[in-house]
Amino acid sequence: MAAIEVTNLVKRFATKGRGRRSLVEAVSGITFSVEDGERLAYIGPNGAGKSTSIKMLTGILHPTEGHATVLGYIPWSERRKLVRHIGTLFGQRSQLWAQLTARQTFRLLARIYRLDDRDAARRIEELGELLEATTLFDVPVKSLSLGQRMRCELTASQLHSPRVLFLDEPTIGLGLVAKQRFREMIVRLNEERNMTVFLTSHDVSDIEYVARRVIVINHGRIIYDDDVSSMRRSLLRTKLLEVRFEEAPRALSLDSVEVLKHSGLGYKLVVHTSQRSIRSVLDELLDDYSVADISVLDPPLEEIITEIYEAPQR
Amino acid sequence: MRIILSTFKNSLIEAWTNRRSFWLQVSIMLANDLVWVLFWILFFERVSTVRGWDRSRVLLLFAILTTVAGISLGLLANARKIGQLSAGGELDAALALPIHPLAFLLVRRVDTGLLGDLFFGPILFVLAGEPTLERTAIFIFGSLCGAAVLVGFLVAIGALTLFIGGTGEQADLGFQTILILASYPVDVFGGATKLLLFTSVPAAFISGLPTRLVDDWQWTTAAALLTAALVFASLGVRLFNLGLHRYSSGARWTRA
Repeated sequence: MAAIEVTNLVKRFATKGRGRRSLVEAVSGITFSVEDGERLAYIGPNGAGKSTSIKMLTGILHPTEGHATVLGYIPWSERRKLVRHIGTLFGQRSQLWAQLTARQTFRLLARIYRLDDRDAARRIEELGELLEATTLFDVPVKSLSLGQRMRCELTASQLHSPRVLFLDEPTIGLGLVAKQRFREMIVRLNEERNMTVFLTSHDVSDIEYVARRVIVINHGRIIYDDDVSSMRRSLLRTKLLEVRFEEAPRALSLDSVEVLKHSGLGYKLVVHTSQRSIRSVLDELLDDYSVADISVLDPPLEEIITEIYEAPQR
Repeated sequence: MRIILSTFKNSLIEAWTNRRSFWLQVSIMLANDLVWVLFWILFFERVSTVRGWDRSRVLLLFAILTTVAGISLGLLANARKIGQLSAGGELDAALALPIHPLAFLLVRRVDTGLLGDLFFGPILFVLAGEPTLERTAIFIFGSLCGAAVLVGFLVAIGALTLFIGGTGEQADLGFQTILILASYPVDVFGGATKLLLFTSVPAAFISGLPTRLVDDWQWTTAAALLTAALVFASLGVRLFNLGLHRYSSGARWTRA
């Protein structure tokens, strides 16, 4: 069953510049659907239309044209019904009250979501354990680190057991450890509760770790929609070779292979697999050079995504 | 209502977190109000009445005005910030909750300094307003109606930001204008200005009419005040709701 269905959704904004009003199309007729329990990364460069899309799907913005349903509700006209069943977490905006403890905000949110006081207290404890955040709940939010605050934000977004979680740049500003921990929590929530995850992020590791499917949006249009693993396979036109020689090669010259960098006996090579198979390169290396160690790697996902962004518009 | 009260309770707890700052700000506002009272006392030492308004009536007006300001700008501090919040994309958090965003926003923040007005107004009424049970009831009725008019007016001009863009400057201008006009006896003004005070800048309903009502209860005046409260409150809510269709969130754009 589809949790989210979007059909030809358009959003235009009016801009004012030099006294003139002009229209900018932030989202240009996007169509897609997201199944229940899916983990989707919705990515694109700055200004691509990601946040505008997510805000239309959460009922914050009204579209100019088109149609969408989230859990069967039309977000902008049935906002109050919809938001009882979805969670939102915007990395640059806080749901928590800075001067109060997270627990005080949770209690208020529980009332807003009409949870029974006893159920709410139990739920807060459960989430505290699940997200390893119980000790943070009684500290004033202003005293928490960003990573700690985001764990409390995630708790706040989960109080009412949402069926879909919308995350807009949730790991922005977090340190490496906090980011990884946050990603693990999102995956855990998805796996334990079959919660649909709709994630926008600039951080490729968020996509790599959290998402199974990726939609790429650029200039307001969807330019790619596939599984993360398929994206890797279909768009990989290069492989990386890390080679350590037993003795320095006099001149390393191989067809369809570039030397990316080298230091001492170690070389990093790029093989253009559309021109030559990786196997023939390996054969040539092993036959003609004294190789001590060799490994074959995929290029980073970031490169693949950059390639998608830079590809001519369909 | 339970949700609104819970939100309001959190706002008060938040304002009360830094108690030293709380009392300092309240004290500064009380001192500021006291200077105004002294000004009027000194003024009426030299002039006995101004167009029928004597010292006790002007002090009553000031008691009502500060009470109205305490409610509208102290307790419902975001009333005058709707324009800025809309322009800055800060309605998102309220829109992500299953409640009416305006109700939530209004009780979401308490302005500590202006709470001083809420203490000052009733105290001044008790000291200078010749309180009886009847006058006190009318004082409360008039202040609540005045607060509804002021909040409705501020929300309406703030919500204009959703239609015309900008950063809500017109709301600041309107806020200052209405408070200045409301701090003088309504009969000081005449002609077109007086018409303005009963229509587009409804300062007369905030202090002048409630004062008249406390001194001389008239059902027609009370009905006019209540109608103004309902009209401006509805106008604020209606404009805000309509404006939400044009809300552009964090984007520095206005909707087509």
